[in-house]
Amino acid sequence: MAEFWQQVVTGIATGSVYGLLALAMVLIYRSTSVINFAQGEMAMFTTFVAWSVLQWGEYWVMFPLVLLMAAGFGAFIERVIIRPVEGAPILNIIIVTLGMFAILNNVATWRWGGIPKGFPAPPEIEVTGVKFMGEGALDIGPTVVSYHDLTILVFAVAIMIGLYLFFQYTPTGLAMRATAQNPIASRLMGIRVGRMLTVGWALSATVGAVAGLLIAPLILLQPPMMMGVLLYAFAAAVLGGLDSPVGAVVGGLIIGISENLVGTYTPKEWLGPDMKLTVTLLIIVVVLLIRPTGLFGRRALRRV
Amino acid sequence: MLKVCDLVAAYGPIVALHGVSLEVPEGSIVTVLGANGAGKSTTLRAVSGLLRPKSGSIEFEGQPIDRLSAEQIVSLGMSHIPEGRQLFSELTVLENLRLGAYSRFAGADGGRRPADRQDLSALGRLQRYLFQAATGGIRDLARTIREYRQRRQDFEAALRRVFDYFPILAERKSQIAGTLSGGEQQMLAMGRGLMARPRLLLLDEPSMGLAPMVTREIFQIIETVNRTQGVTILLVEQNANLALEIAHYGYVLETGRIALADTSENLRKSEAVQRSYLGQ
Repeated sequence: MAEFWQQVVTGIATGSVYGLLALAMVLIYRSTSVINFAQGEMAMFTTFVAWSVLQWGEYWVMFPLVLLMAAGFGAFIERVIIRPVEGAPILNIIIVTLGMFAILNNVATWRWGGIPKGFPAPPEIEVTGVKFMGEGALDIGPTVVSYHDLTILVFAVAIMIGLYLFFQYTPTGLAMRATAQNPIASRLMGIRVGRMLTVGWALSATVGAVAGLLIAPLILLQPPMMMGVLLYAFAAAVLGGLDSPVGAVVGGLIIGISENLVGTYTPKEWLGPDMKLTVTLLIIVVVLLIRPTGLFGRRALRRV
Repeated sequence: MLKVCDLVAAYGPIVALHGVSLEVPEGSIVTVLGANGAGKSTTLRAVSGLLRPKSGSIEFEGQPIDRLSAEQIVSLGMSHIPEGRQLFSELTVLENLRLGAYSRFAGADGGRRPADRQDLSALGRLQRYLFQAATGGIRDLARTIREYRQRRQDFEAALRRVFDYFPILAERKSQIAGTLSGGEQQMLAMGRGLMARPRLLLLDEPSMGLAPMVTREIFQIIETVNRTQGVTILLVEQNANLALEIAHYGYVLETGRIALADTSENLRKSEAVQRSYLGQ
């Protein structure tokens, strides 16, 4: 039983990262109906930048700095790369995101090299004698949780609550939701639709950057590091419903947990760890056959 | 209050308005009548900035607005309640109303009108910018908090007024807009438009798809808004009978041109109007 809980807890941690990246994709999809295939590479890129910053700075100085840079990076991409193809057929925009995927990947390889690098987990911080994060593990009865897994979970929950409050209670958040639904009516309300899209990309890039920073210590830092994660995140977003932030997170958790359980408990002769991706994706196909809009989605999926 | 001169507007190669001129005096209700496709909605879309006119001029309270965007025009005090209501149908009634007030309460420089900045010379702007940068932070914060309170009160006053006109909206505050009945949706569209506290209201076919009883109620409210709050109204309507009942002045639009313009009393008596639009 201990092993089962161990797998579930680890699954929740990696699932949160998938959920975060899926959330980043959903943020963009909701407002522009574009699936940003470069989402993972953007996160990889900001993580590399973080690595460079870490060469001369503290982790907790780097962290907010990199998030700010990621926001600027996202806004820049929307303004400079996506804006000119706005209004073009969806397929064109998707090709553009695929192009960004390749460019970011190549630039990262050229600048930082293809050799995998270690990336530190958030170091310990001490608040009035109580230690958070850092090395070690926490014993929670049925199993132990590593501090890093716990950190991932805390960050994921904080971001989700933060985004929820932002979208629910701030005028800008509300305006962004309005823009996603009805751009013309939004203009009549005085909302600058273009600016809302920029903010959306900035937010999305920031959330993605957090996902990158948190997953990098678990997998090594290298240009193709986010490929697998992106696949899981995309699956999570589709499973939850591409237009539902809650769905993205729940989808991420389901995939994280089931991935771990499938890897551990299916017979090694014909499934086992090597087939966990296949089995997970199979589960998704079945869910989508029953509910084409995903678990929480409302809009039907578009074929791309 | 609103002055449209020789307005030409087109959707791509298709010209919809061939030189429309009309005037809306402050405090009045002016109606634009006409058949489907005569260019009524196009006129409103050009005035509110959704459609950029090809040529001609539009003046709102003496200020040319034909080169401004829809986002800018609404903050000048003009609300456009578009054809088919265009609600945010997946948001709640209250959220729709909050969005209606967006132009007044949300923008970081909502209080500062663009005119504020225009009346300064380049040097003046630079001085002011440097001054603001220098005194920046604390003063800004204090002002933001003060403004926030004021906006909050403003918002609540506007909300109360809308709920006075449409008590049903207060009851349905947290209902999803898309689940309201047709009449309630029209009320919400009007309430949302009024939340911006406009001095000029552009209303596009408020009677569309509504039962006669409900239409009558809506028109009564339009008249009340005009009378008690002094909101000027430009009303586009297919139901000429009702429109002429509450309007002071009317224009008849035919294939993108003004065919007739007169007081609503004279229009009602006019044979051409009776034949084509009043069905008598």
